[in-house]
Amino acid sequence: MAASSGYSGKPSPKHRIARLGRDIWKNRGKYFLVLPGIVWYAIFAYIPIFGLSLAFKKYMAKMGLFGSPWIGLANFENVFADPAFMKSIYTTLWINAGRLIFVFPVPIILALMFNEVRLGRSKKILQSIFTFPHFLSWVIVGSIMISVLGQRGVVNSILTLLFGTEPIGFLGTPAYFQPIVYLTDIWKSTGWSAIIYLAAISGIDTEQYQAAEIDGSTRLQRIWYITLPGIKPTIIVLFILAVGNLMSGGFDQIFNLSNPATIRVAEILDMYIYRITFRGSVDFSFSAAVALFRSVINLLLLLTADRITKRIDGSGLLA
Amino acid sequence: MKNVRRLVCMFLVAFLVLGLAACGGGKEAEPEKTSSQPAKTDAAKPSSDAGDSTETEYERVVISYSCPQVVEGYDYNTGDDYSKFILEKFNFEFEGKNVPWGEWHNMLSTWIMAQDMPDVAIFNYGDGTHADASNFVDQGLIKRLPDDWKTRWPNVAKVYETTSLGPMLEDLYGGTYFIPRARFFYNLPGDPLANHWSLWVRSDWVAAVGKEVKNNYTIPEILEIAKLIKEQDPGKVGAALAPISMDAGNSARFFLEANSTHWDTFYKGSDGKYAWGAAAEDTLEGLKLWYQAYSTGILDPEFYLLDYEKDMEKFQTLGVAGVSYLGGQTADVERFRIDFTDYTGFDASAFGLATLLGTDGNYHQRDLINFWGAVCFSPDVDDAVFERWMDLMEFTASEDGYPGTQMGLKGIDWDRDANGDIVSLVPPGTLLAGDVGDAKYPSLGHVLGSVILWDDLAFDNPNVAEEYRDESRALYKNRSEICTPESFAKVDWDLWMHNTDNLRRARGIDYDTEFSNLVTNAKSEADLVNLYNAWLEAQQALIQPVLDELNN
Repeated sequence: MAASSGYSGKPSPKHRIARLGRDIWKNRGKYFLVLPGIVWYAIFAYIPIFGLSLAFKKYMAKMGLFGSPWIGLANFENVFADPAFMKSIYTTLWINAGRLIFVFPVPIILALMFNEVRLGRSKKILQSIFTFPHFLSWVIVGSIMISVLGQRGVVNSILTLLFGTEPIGFLGTPAYFQPIVYLTDIWKSTGWSAIIYLAAISGIDTEQYQAAEIDGSTRLQRIWYITLPGIKPTIIVLFILAVGNLMSGGFDQIFNLSNPATIRVAEILDMYIYRITFRGSVDFSFSAAVALFRSVINLLLLLTADRITKRIDGSGLLA
Repeated sequence: MKNVRRLVCMFLVAFLVLGLAACGGGKEAEPEKTSSQPAKTDAAKPSSDAGDSTETEYERVVISYSCPQVVEGYDYNTGDDYSKFILEKFNFEFEGKNVPWGEWHNMLSTWIMAQDMPDVAIFNYGDGTHADASNFVDQGLIKRLPDDWKTRWPNVAKVYETTSLGPMLEDLYGGTYFIPRARFFYNLPGDPLANHWSLWVRSDWVAAVGKEVKNNYTIPEILEIAKLIKEQDPGKVGAALAPISMDAGNSARFFLEANSTHWDTFYKGSDGKYAWGAAAEDTLEGLKLWYQAYSTGILDPEFYLLDYEKDMEKFQTLGVAGVSYLGGQTADVERFRIDFTDYTGFDASAFGLATLLGTDGNYHQRDLINFWGAVCFSPDVDDAVFERWMDLMEFTASEDGYPGTQMGLKGIDWDRDANGDIVSLVPPGTLLAGDVGDAKYPSLGHVLGSVILWDDLAFDNPNVAEEYRDESRALYKNRSEICTPESFAKVDWDLWMHNTDNLRRARGIDYDTEFSNLVTNAKSEADLVNLYNAWLEAQQALIQPVLDELNN
């Protein structure tokens, strides 16, 4: 491009801006369509970044965000002095790392299975059945779990009936908490998450399957050598994003599935932030410090995951 | 090219202006709140049967108000005759905002911080929220009442003086910002003030297992009764039987608060030094009893899953619980029993109320302090709105106004006889206050300007059977008698008003949840002690700085 514009080196910033301007004007219709998205992003994603300065201030509502006095790292010192904070970080990482291992692959497997279902009608019905739980709120799922896994729930009734066992307190036993989190997450979100992989699969050239079939490949071989490599970029992107969310996410689920008996293995960072922000004294600066810390860790995890996948596979999320 | 530049510049300018506007904290540029603007029509005269002598003509105003007791979805403006009477008498339109009980403090605090609070609100004042209140006052986020308010609204001032907290805060803040609402005014049952929280006991089951029906039990006595109920199942309830049904919060009150006065806070010991109540011996003793009840199946094995008031359901609605530990307000004692009879079919006498005592045989509690919830005003409230609400409170604090908050309209539902005593004009069993559709006046209660709460009138309310009022008096009395100054402690205002970042952080500990966790995770009593000691150790980072502050 630079050569075509008559310059031998890199174009100067002035020329690049001019070129961008021309491009915008030329494609003004398209840019106009993008505008609401940009405005939305600016208002709800970029402007609130100013709010992070709250982490370094003692927030005074009357003085506003900019007028509140600067107190440096005092909020962070207080954050790290609270033993529950470090514990919540450990819990968050532990639970979400498990999610990556046990929950993340399931939608991929489900999408591969859906792809192998040949009858269109059955496929649609199955897909609807698997997608439905996504539309239930975690509050409802929490109540369902009490009916299913409570000491007087369905599972215990069956166990007692079949084996004569004493009721097991599934929901009150810390050891069962993580498995319950993963199982409910799989039950609720797998069908919905599989849609993205199904979309990626539909983009794979069908000629590859036909050629493989002619060559005598088995179904498993086609999945392994055609489908999986075909959706690999999608898997990588979603994996990197999931790693970038290791320190957050899952609040609704864990808040509704946890109880006093399991709280010590369940208080993730978001729940800690909720507790200190709203259950105790209202201290927005303290909460902002915790949230900023979380965001920084999330960013580092995302960059690390991106770098590692680039090393291994040559492709990543960021340029 | 020029046009593009212009466009880009305009966009950037608009973007920055919008951004700054979004981040700005000032209210100066905002128009005045419309809700506070008096309309220029419909001047109304207070009705003559209102009982006060003022003949003020009011201009119509709109008053926004918030507290958890606002009935959600109920239109107070067209609702029932009592709300219409109040709204017409004081000529205002009522915009009530309900806040969920669990979100009360944080929702109101968020509105206050955003400088968007309603004209009038009830602040959930307590030692845990005092730091926030103090912060709001310092920042001018709450209206300071005019210095002459006590002479302008003398009835309110009289009530205010009995709350203890009001005058204490006035000294602290150098003016009045909050008007605490008095639990009791004419009928204060003791000082320090006992809580109404009581044992709900199935008296018929207690008698059936051969134990004495009393109006007070120690924790071990109740555990023994519950054990017998579990063994003998006197009600033939079967698998659904819950000898003791309590959620995590009420379990903590039952086993810890009833045995260890300062279990969830700091206190000054006999050596004059402050200590942490959670580390006290009687707290551990209560914890052991809790573990004993849980591990032997006397306590509901899934107490930690019970939602708020589900424990009440097992006792009152299903009739499968032997013991619960719940509210025992005088005003509700009769209603609880009527509901119990309606739902379960058992006689009301099977529903016993009793005081819970610690293992030492004493009643344990910290002074409840004679208030619940404090009225506060927006700093931007229009003078007319502020004065109107104060006038309303003055009326509800008057002899003719305060019975109406519980008994309805004077001359229709109640009146005073020649001796000045309150007499009821409604047939026995009439439900005056309660749910929409059931009660005659769903608006009755604390919402419409009440500063003397229901606890007080309940002792004089002829609509509540005399025997229940006497029972309540007896419960309050024995709590004041079966105690020591240490077990039923007066409020330590130095501690109550202590307001530092360290204490604020320490108050973030959720004791109900933490202790429930220890009990449910312990494998044996020895393991419980180990877990408890480890927990105490882990909290030192939050606790020690507070103790250092208090003791130095």
